[in-house]
Amino acid sequence: MIALVARQQLTTLHRQRTAVTVVGLFVAMTALAGVIGWSSTQTISRVYDQAVVLLAQTGTPAPANPIGIKPTLSLLSNMTVYLPLVGALLAVLLGHLVIADDRTSGVGRLLFSRRLSGPAYLAGKAAAVGAVLAVALTASLLVSVLALLIANGNLPTAADLGRLALFYALSLLYLSVFALVGMAAVLLTRKRSLALLSAMGVWLVVTFAVPQFTSGLRPTASLNPVSDPASATTAFFRATAHARPLSLSEQYKAASADLLQTGPAHAVTATLGHAVPLLLGAGLLALLVSLTVRRHDWSRSMAGE
Amino acid sequence: MDTDPDIELAGVTHRFGDRTVLHDLDLTIERGEIFGFLGHNGAGKTTTVNILTTLITPTAGSARVCGFDVVSQRADVTRRIGYLPAEVRLYDHLTALENLEFFGRLSGVDNPRRAAQETLDYLGCTELGPRRMAGFSTGMRQRIGIAQAVLHKPQVLFLDEPTAGLDPVGVRQLRETVLRLNADLGMTVFMNTHLLSEVAKVCTTIGVLNAGELIYKDSLEQTLLRFPDESSLEDIYVRMEQVPS
Repeated sequence: MIALVARQQLTTLHRQRTAVTVVGLFVAMTALAGVIGWSSTQTISRVYDQAVVLLAQTGTPAPANPIGIKPTLSLLSNMTVYLPLVGALLAVLLGHLVIADDRTSGVGRLLFSRRLSGPAYLAGKAAAVGAVLAVALTASLLVSVLALLIANGNLPTAADLGRLALFYALSLLYLSVFALVGMAAVLLTRKRSLALLSAMGVWLVVTFAVPQFTSGLRPTASLNPVSDPASATTAFFRATAHARPLSLSEQYKAASADLLQTGPAHAVTATLGHAVPLLLGAGLLALLVSLTVRRHDWSRSMAGE
Repeated sequence: MDTDPDIELAGVTHRFGDRTVLHDLDLTIERGEIFGFLGHNGAGKTTTVNILTTLITPTAGSARVCGFDVVSQRADVTRRIGYLPAEVRLYDHLTALENLEFFGRLSGVDNPRRAAQETLDYLGCTELGPRRMAGFSTGMRQRIGIAQAVLHKPQVLFLDEPTAGLDPVGVRQLRETVLRLNADLGMTVFMNTHLLSEVAKVCTTIGVLNAGELIYKDSLEQTLLRFPDESSLEDIYVRMEQVPS
């Protein structure tokens, strides 16, 4: 039953051109990150070359090229910004679509007048969304490798490829959380527009609001992977900073920074530790959606507006 | 009849919050009957079908379909029923045949592709099979909707306002289909409807639901005998609502 539901949903997503749009946007994001990374590398190299000439004229020895000591994967550092912003939003939309379409059209009534159980239905839908996200992230991985090849002139090492693969696996976990949020919102609300707005509200809170509190109200913390929170200035923000392990967005960024080596080096256990809240979040949401789908009244269609 | 009834409702009550939509409903429908369930909007007809198709659980009372309890033996019930809700919409991006194959697999049909094709042939809409449903008219959707409901040859078929939105040709096709299914396969049919003319042409038994209470149930033949002074079924229906039997 799970495979049957997943296959039907994948066919629909394919024919609606939703899947190809999502994959296309992920590829475009990755290409953009690669171009920006390549552009900044080129700029730094040109400035360095000019500085070397000027320093040579004054007889001063030139320091090492900073690009040489920069980790290879840091070229893709913008991905840790794009994925939580655009990627997570697309995951919310996918999660919303796969359930809301069935509720709005009333086809859910037909499905649940058959032998289908709620959890099997949910697992099929989640598998379909997971498959689309996995394809999109795999395409991103390939574009990342291509970008690194073009920018550096050689293929990434096996270690770098491993880090890149882990980064995209972590991203799949992070995006799954948002897909589940999109699904849960449809099951918990009566109107389609309200479901979408609620899910986007959760995305906004997780992406922007929570990091503001847990990182002591630093505006850049919601966008950039910062490993250590700046000292908070008030007791309130000193207190909320302790909730940082619960901030999914920051945990994702911290783990990503470790994997792409864009932040200070940490032990592997610290990187894995950042993934634990994501696993717990995805697990709890899956449980919530599973319980909700069991109790959901499928006899009622969802209002389109 | 010596067989068990196909549908039995005993003291079924259903509430949505503070609002009671079904009051202590008792109803029995024998195997092979075509039952027309009449009532105004909001009378509780669809709620009754939702209970019988296992979509919702009654607040009180018990309901059995083909001898199985709709709450505790859900899987046994769903295996034996077909359901066509009002204003049916299947998956628009799939063809009619793909939709039927999908629902056939959900119902555990052996060789669902062949069953889907055979059902389309039986209902005289073979030409719709390879077409995507996005461009279908209401009548076409309804025919594919019926096909999905009967694909697995259910013992009981539930139709909720099946003539809604259909043109006269569509209504006639639906009527002929219901009669054929009943005659060929012995299917029991439970039909919620507003159209009294259809009830007169199709149903063997009628029931009238008013504000969640069953105020009348008898065979069509007996009904027409019981109300000899009324000139049409519509008049009888109005009278039934005024004077419960």
